[in-house]
Amino acid sequence: MCGARGRGYNRGVSLVAELTALQEARGYLADEDLTALAERRKVPLYRLEGLVTFYPHFRRTPPPRTELALCRDASCALRGAASAAVAVREALAAEPDIAVHEVSCLGRCEIAPAAAVNGHPTCALPTEDLCAAARAPEGMPSDEPRASPSQRWSADVYAGGDTEPYALLRELRALPEQAAAARVLGTLDAAGLRGLGGAGFPTGKKWALVRAEPARPHHVICNADESEPGTFKDRVVLEEMPHLVVEAMAIAGLVAGATHATVYIRHEYGKEHRALERALGRARDLGVLGPAGAANPAGFDADVFVSPGGYILGEETALLEAMEDRRGEPRNKPPFPGTHGLRGLPTLINNVETFAWVPAILRRGAEWWKSQGVRGAAGLKLIAVSGHVERPGVYEVPMGTSVAELIALAGGVLGGRPLLAFAPGGASSNFLPAAEAGVALDFAALQKAGSMLGSGALLVVAEGTDLLGLATNVTRFFRNESCGKCVPCRVGSHKGVELLESLAAGKGGPADVALLEELNETLALTSICGLGQVALGPALSVLRRFPQTVRRAPPAGGAP
Amino acid sequence: MTVTSAPSPVPVPVPVPVVVKLTIDGRVVEVPAGTTLWEAAQRAGIDIPVLCHSARLDPVGVCRMCVVDTGARVFAAACVRPCENGMKVDTASEKVERQRRMLTRLLLADHPTPCARERTTGDCDLEALGRRYGLVDGGPDTLPAAPLPRGHGRPLDASSPVIAVDHQACILCDRCIRACDDVQSNEVIGRTGKGYAARIAFDLDAPMGRSTCVSCGECVASCPTGALTNKAVAAPIRATRDLAAVPTVCPYCGVGCAVTYYADRRENRIAFAAGRPGSGNDARLCVKGRYGFDYATHAQRLTHPLIRREAFYPKGPLSSDVRGEGQGGGRAGRAGNKPGGLVDYAEVLPAFREASWDEALDLCARRLGALRDAHGPGALAGFGSAKGSNEEAYLFQKLLRAGWGTNNVDHCTRLCHASSVAALLETIGSGAVTNVFGDVRRSDVVLCAGTNTTANHPVAASFFKQAAKAGTQIVVVDPRQPDLAQHATYYCRIRSGTDVPFYNALMHVIVAEGLYDAAYVRDHTEGFEALRAVVAQYAPEKVAPIVGLDAAFIREVAHVLGGARAMMIFWGMGISQHTHGTDNARCLIALALLTGSVGRPGTGLHPLRGQNNVQGASDAGLIPMFLPDYQSVKDETVRARFEKIWGRPIDPRPGLTVVEITRGALEGRIKGMYMMGENPFLSDPNINKVRKALAHLEFLVVQDIFLTETAEFADVVLPASSFFEKTGTYTNTDRRVQLGRPVLELPGEARCDWEIICDLSRRMGYPMDYASPAEVFAEFADLTQSYRGLTHDNLGPGGKLWPCADPVHSDGEQILFGDGFPTPSGRGRLVPAEFQHAKEMPDDEYPMVLNTGRLLEHWHTGSMTRRSVALDAIEPEPFVEMHPDDAAALGIADGQLVRVSSRRGAILLPVRLGRRQVRGAVFVPFHFREAAANVLTIDELDPFGKIPEFKFCAVKVQPAA
Repeated sequence: MCGARGRGYNRGVSLVAELTALQEARGYLADEDLTALAERRKVPLYRLEGLVTFYPHFRRTPPPRTELALCRDASCALRGAASAAVAVREALAAEPDIAVHEVSCLGRCEIAPAAAVNGHPTCALPTEDLCAAARAPEGMPSDEPRASPSQRWSADVYAGGDTEPYALLRELRALPEQAAAARVLGTLDAAGLRGLGGAGFPTGKKWALVRAEPARPHHVICNADESEPGTFKDRVVLEEMPHLVVEAMAIAGLVAGATHATVYIRHEYGKEHRALERALGRARDLGVLGPAGAANPAGFDADVFVSPGGYILGEETALLEAMEDRRGEPRNKPPFPGTHGLRGLPTLINNVETFAWVPAILRRGAEWWKSQGVRGAAGLKLIAVSGHVERPGVYEVPMGTSVAELIALAGGVLGGRPLLAFAPGGASSNFLPAAEAGVALDFAALQKAGSMLGSGALLVVAEGTDLLGLATNVTRFFRNESCGKCVPCRVGSHKGVELLESLAAGKGGPADVALLEELNETLALTSICGLGQVALGPALSVLRRFPQTVRRAPPAGGAP
Repeated sequence: MTVTSAPSPVPVPVPVPVVVKLTIDGRVVEVPAGTTLWEAAQRAGIDIPVLCHSARLDPVGVCRMCVVDTGARVFAAACVRPCENGMKVDTASEKVERQRRMLTRLLLADHPTPCARERTTGDCDLEALGRRYGLVDGGPDTLPAAPLPRGHGRPLDASSPVIAVDHQACILCDRCIRACDDVQSNEVIGRTGKGYAARIAFDLDAPMGRSTCVSCGECVASCPTGALTNKAVAAPIRATRDLAAVPTVCPYCGVGCAVTYYADRRENRIAFAAGRPGSGNDARLCVKGRYGFDYATHAQRLTHPLIRREAFYPKGPLSSDVRGEGQGGGRAGRAGNKPGGLVDYAEVLPAFREASWDEALDLCARRLGALRDAHGPGALAGFGSAKGSNEEAYLFQKLLRAGWGTNNVDHCTRLCHASSVAALLETIGSGAVTNVFGDVRRSDVVLCAGTNTTANHPVAASFFKQAAKAGTQIVVVDPRQPDLAQHATYYCRIRSGTDVPFYNALMHVIVAEGLYDAAYVRDHTEGFEALRAVVAQYAPEKVAPIVGLDAAFIREVAHVLGGARAMMIFWGMGISQHTHGTDNARCLIALALLTGSVGRPGTGLHPLRGQNNVQGASDAGLIPMFLPDYQSVKDETVRARFEKIWGRPIDPRPGLTVVEITRGALEGRIKGMYMMGENPFLSDPNINKVRKALAHLEFLVVQDIFLTETAEFADVVLPASSFFEKTGTYTNTDRRVQLGRPVLELPGEARCDWEIICDLSRRMGYPMDYASPAEVFAEFADLTQSYRGLTHDNLGPGGKLWPCADPVHSDGEQILFGDGFPTPSGRGRLVPAEFQHAKEMPDDEYPMVLNTGRLLEHWHTGSMTRRSVALDAIEPEPFVEMHPDDAAALGIADGQLVRVSSRRGAILLPVRLGRRQVRGAVFVPFHFREAAANVLTIDELDPFGKIPEFKFCAVKVQPAA
């Protein structure tokens, strides 16, 4: 029979999911798979081409037996990634079934220099161990989430077992909807909780805004795509406290009028994804998630969308584009996702950590939250510490803790060396000199000091480091991760890297620094999203505050 | 009889016009909410530079050139940012301009200055910005101080015959992507890669020439730089300012796209073409309109009148391949001393000698006059052409009717929509479309029956595809899967020739389940009971095995059609070119009437017209039974009116149709013929018979621009004008009358067709004196209802739809028959049809069904398109398309040479495998003389429309020895 139903049918499964499944089946995406998929889904070939070449997870050629990924970004660079890479490549040069790639930040900065063997995270040192793992990837220890938390986290109101998880959610759901929303919004406003993914937008205000939007349905998204070099605090939350994220999303759903939530997680977070799925399963078992029931009158449910890769997907509108089967290119704003989000409908998007604090704040109250900060700041903060410290990792500190205090908590500067500089808010934050180490980790104080709280990642740099080289490394990361949509970021970040590399190589001079300043202004003012706006910022912070890093240009006409 | 103001049944929410007040560069501006800053600035006369933005496309805000300062932390791209109340916008501060200059600098750092656009049409937008900011010719990046590092190494892609791709000049503005996707819906171009390595790509990053690109050139038209440029087709492309821009229309299909041709006057060549904005085609063109213009300046244009030399009598074909008569007809593929294709001038031209116009025309007048005097006017006949203008068509039939006294005048519409017109006249009293194709944007359901629209009416198809994207459900019915099926909600692959049972089954469900518009049927139709009785016999369950579709599927489609709020029905040759073509059309018309799908916005009946002037040629009377405007020759009052104006008696008997004239020639009843722009040798069914008929004529005069296969049989060949060399009007498929203007000078002694007709007429004792085509048009328009009031002067740049009561203020009537039909009762007739098999069903000897048709790149007998460098390069040779499984069963591989034969002849050509064919069916395009499909086709006629059955005959396919 020859009748065929065309476009308008066969919606539902996302193209990204279909591509992922096809790749799992064959190991890569062959032309014939893509052509057949295009025919079946009635999508043009160019759309598939656009997707598979945009997302690093997809490959068009058969995979090697072992795929060895080596992180090349800032935290790992500070811990010897470059020389480790040279050593590994040398050791494996004669083994064609092992492919070595240098990749963007894997989010395992506490084991820097980080590597991944067929997706299993490990340390790139010592070289012999890594090579052994690459030769026998099946022998690697299984990548299971830890059974119990590594420490007692203040956020986990259910730790210790005296209260049953989701008690707060049950309590709120038992209230009249208006009353529940009023309580939640009132508490969040009073506490002054701000988004902890980087932008710092007041959480209560965002929730109220989405709640007020008349278009339906609403959607809740948890942005678990942290990918900025040095940033891995959300990863720890997902592994150790996923139930808090689930509960907070459900509360957000209640307030914002959404019955569905999605956790958008980076594909490198394998065991964290498993931990999250377990938490979702448990919540369904408990009747607070899934089909409507007594404890879940609205039938609220949540799922997980695994990112096909790329730092830019952490930008909330790029993330939406990916979920809508397009290239993850940030949208022009306004409109913002709160009014025009997923498929054009109102969407509440918060970062993992932001969600994770919500149950504690609602249970313990706004006053408790405010009282947790020091030096006039409010609340607590998870900060990932990496680079030149003795004990890299995620630390829970009062908001307002000084950088020096946090470095001390992390065991001090590596090897007892003097501090040279630090970036308090991840790779996109401006570097500050050691003299500023007394600055408080807080939105306002860091802004005043000329940097930002950013993604909650403290990057520590000891004396003796090539800071211009590090700044170039950071700029290269943004260049590599630029989606390419807008001109200033696509072309400007690349030209910026070329100019910095030239400076770092001792070529160029003040005219190039001036050109970088001009370029930075254009990127900051005209790029569509935050990536382009900050791409040259950290490098300029080094050029401005550490002018001695620029070596003198060779005399005109002279060889470099 | 017309209505355009019928109340729409759709409750379209009228947006509340909220006004937003803001300040732009210190000026207070008020605009409707939703206006972008860029638009608001434009209205205020403030020009903000753009690269990625074009008013024709949805803005994307990627080049950032249009950034403005709104006082926020970052600048806003004016092209995407909506105006807000109280905004204070600075569009050109020093700080804003500084960013634009840097953005330009960044792009120029990677730009091959001057790029291909700057070197050809001279209008690269980026280089213009570079000049504005002092960045080219000695600007900062050409100085050593602090240059931006230059980028290079991105590839060129020369694989397309018509479009040059230079990735290095690409600024990733995405204009081509939106042009290909949102405007033309060809969906070929996208971005590949990411970040600085991103670039545009075709399909899965194929070279453009090997991708699914259909070469419409919309990407070139939208590209601001030299990334996508036109390759030279007829002459090197010079700066636009040095070329003459002539606004006219496209010479090819019935869509009648408005085009501006840019002519190089020095060379008398067309350099390039551009779609005209604000027209029915919305500035879109297809590959033929954009790149197929160079035939007009081909070296083989006829430049002198030709007279057949005595040595070449008795007449017969002159080409060696055609002389091989009785040996299966067609020639052996690429055998012989030439590579196949068009008439070989070296072989044919020696049979003729050049003559003066006086000698040639006197000879025609003398011989044709003698035949008339000896055998009566009925011994003469003429074929006009749907490629000619309204004026030429009118004069041609006037010459035959008034000058010669015969109604034996017909043209190729007989071969395309005669059955459609027969059914339309019978049912709704008018043969023209009831609504324009562009109104699909207001339809919720569109039925496309037997039309390969993307190939044959590509620009109309772009509107269908666009509607589909906006949610219109498209139902495609065709045995051979057309590209449009990719965009359809339902694709109904019925078996060839089972149209009547299929549509009857749909109507069965619609009637049985009460899905028809009872009020409309009651108020505006007649014959419902008879239709009900017939369709009652066609339950989907009974019809399913005949048509090859599931009964449930048929029911589902019937529910969609029956449930439509506003449905438009389009059809093409797949409906009309059958011996049951009129029945097929009756079914579609009945379906439209049943569902009340006529006379309202988004509804209508639209037989898609093939030739650029098939509507107009028919309107002008190139039909044996009708005087201009479908006024019957049998009607005495009508005749009296024409006789008064024309000053001669008119024969009250309808003349013969195309195939009847050919038969008449074969049987010796037709002795002399005047052939203006027609090439029946290739276009008519069973051409072995046509060949004998042509050879049989005592006198044949062929008026054309090239030596055609038909001209081989001529006594006199008159060198005529191409479309590009004359003034005249053309009526497109929408009934839009548009003025064609001369773009080129006539070559040699070639003359305008209207002048040739008048000259011949004068020499035959019937002077027709006109000062210009405008005068001819005035006489014609005045003799009609439809064109009354229209003049060359009031057509305006966009033309007018007929009828047009007030040409000064109105575009003409878009939607006809909102309040009844021009039938005696004022009602539309529901005419039931019963299923009949095609005339020649497959059997053991000839087991396969042959379908014939056109290709996107070619036009009819190929005399134009095969002389176009670009079109010929894209589709250079004939082929037979068949299903891979059929081929495998016969042991035939893709590309292999095969012999396709029917009871009438055989042709040799390579196989092209494809799954758009069903098993048991093959398709041969009819453009290629070296493997002429019409050697195979059957000359059985539809009894009403007298149209031949081009779409169905029995053939067999064998590997060539």
